[in-house]
Amino acid sequence: MAPLVPSQEELQRRRIIDINAETVTNIPSTDFPGHWPGESHGWALDKFKEGFKVEYHRNDPHEASFSLIGLDAAVANAFRRVLMAEIPTLAIEYVFVHNNTSVIQDEVLAQRLGLIPLKGNVDGINWMRWYRKPSEDEDSTEEDGPSDFNTVVMHLDVECTKNPNAHPDEQDPRILYNNAHVYARDLTFSPVGRQDQYFVGDGAIRPVNPDILIAKMRPGQKIEMELHCVKGIGADHAKFSPVATATYRLMPDIKIQRPIIGDDAKKFAKCFPKGVIALEPVTAEEASQKGSGYEGHAGEQKAVVRDAFNDTVSRECLRHEEFQGKVKLGRIRDHFIFNVESTGQFESDALFLEAIKVLKLKCTRWKRGLSDLMA
Amino acid sequence: MPSSVHSQEHDQSMVDAEPEIDPVMLDEKRVVVLPGSSETAASFQFEGEGHTMGNALRYAIMKNPAVEFCGYTIPHPSDAKMHLRIQTTDSTTAVEALEKGFSDLMDLCDVVSEKFTAARDQFNEESSNRMQS
Amino acid sequence: MSREAYQVPAMGGQNAFADSGFSAMAVDNPAVNYLCGECNARVPLKRGDPIRCKDCGHRVLYKERTKRMVQFEAR
Repeated sequence: MAPLVPSQEELQRRRIIDINAETVTNIPSTDFPGHWPGESHGWALDKFKEGFKVEYHRNDPHEASFSLIGLDAAVANAFRRVLMAEIPTLAIEYVFVHNNTSVIQDEVLAQRLGLIPLKGNVDGINWMRWYRKPSEDEDSTEEDGPSDFNTVVMHLDVECTKNPNAHPDEQDPRILYNNAHVYARDLTFSPVGRQDQYFVGDGAIRPVNPDILIAKMRPGQKIEMELHCVKGIGADHAKFSPVATATYRLMPDIKIQRPIIGDDAKKFAKCFPKGVIALEPVTAEEASQKGSGYEGHAGEQKAVVRDAFNDTVSRECLRHEEFQGKVKLGRIRDHFIFNVESTGQFESDALFLEAIKVLKLKCTRWKRGLSDLMA
Repeated sequence: MPSSVHSQEHDQSMVDAEPEIDPVMLDEKRVVVLPGSSETAASFQFEGEGHTMGNALRYAIMKNPAVEFCGYTIPHPSDAKMHLRIQTTDSTTAVEALEKGFSDLMDLCDVVSEKFTAARDQFNEESSNRMQS
Repeated sequence: MSREAYQVPAMGGQNAFADSGFSAMAVDNPAVNYLCGECNARVPLKRGDPIRCKDCGHRVLYKERTKRMVQFEAR
């Protein structure tokens, strides 16, 4: 027996999560085999390929926005979680303080340094391996500890001095003294081993933003430290997370079920962010149609949905008596609007591709691990 | 706690060593079948996994028509362990369903990657055309 | 334990001050440098010296920062 195919209307109903005045309904996905009698919902790659769509909204190095359409929340969420917690990046991990006579304490300064996003040649960063702590037991034969392929060395050597050229009435400490403010740009990269093949010129390891304030000093104070940067993942510490934010929201859906005309239409538009609801004149054709609700209103303004993308789904329109039963709010279950904001080590679009790669790699490893299960 | 590093054995000087195979690849995390399993119904324990894999895998396995039930749980938030329960019909086994789940998820990743790259390239092209005109 | 009996603990079998220009163990009356809390002058003090800055007479003195390297995790 051929599987039942539900009507387009029914499929559309299943795609919408209803947002009511006080409740949210029709929440879980139902596209599983056995859920709807007679229908086939088994996994089919070609069907997925057909239904899946990507729309790009914005692509800047530090921020990308795109829609993934035709995906389940479980998968979209996996991408988002991998993006935040499982893509390796470089960050300062070990701080060797030789001298620090500034007022900021060693451990506080070390913590601040760790949070500075670093960038450098992407091939070089990918070439780098994980750093493994040297094992405690002496007879371990494995080669652990810092090496050129797992540790990047940076130095911070600054001393604050008086500026002899400053005007005697000068009040600004930045002019009165040299190095009164220590910025991220004062970090210097010292390549070791093969690192000078990768991290040269524009590819040198350096802070993404040179203007991050690290510490403040006064004449006679000094900071001298060696910083070891290693690769890590966001699950271990947030400083390794390659994204500032990685979020998705579902595409809002607004359906005007009965005409909203005249002053009501103006009020209705005010319930939504700018540009979501537009006002259009009722055409003569619509007004002549019996039972449309537009009879005798030709030329008056009616509310139409212009762009639901920017809606916040505030449900403001559901609070007003005059719109009762005239509007239906919802969100499209399988339309995910992603927003990925990179901290600068990788470009935002490359990050999403990296997330897909990481998820796939995890599958490969677990699948390989299953062979042990059989033995 | 800070520790003083000033003796020879803690010397931080660098050595030039050959890179080995990715250490993360080496220490393969373990998957075990929990006691009380049969051919068609089994619970698996994944070490070091969470909701990321758990929910995505659950979805992929539930999409298999031969699977009667699939669910995942993280029994305790402090243990990095994820339990996955699979019950299938007689036409397959729980382990096979799990394998198929991984394969389907990997295929899905390929499609997303392919379509994402295409959409991005098209967008970049269009926006550079807009800049020129 | 009396104050006089106090010994500077040896670090890792090494003399803790060996690389910092002091000869703590060789001379039994070592001079330790302090910093004046008022004028920031260096004040070398031996055992029994009055706690007082030689320049300004201020009576609050601070210990110098350690010359040793200290390691931290940036977490």
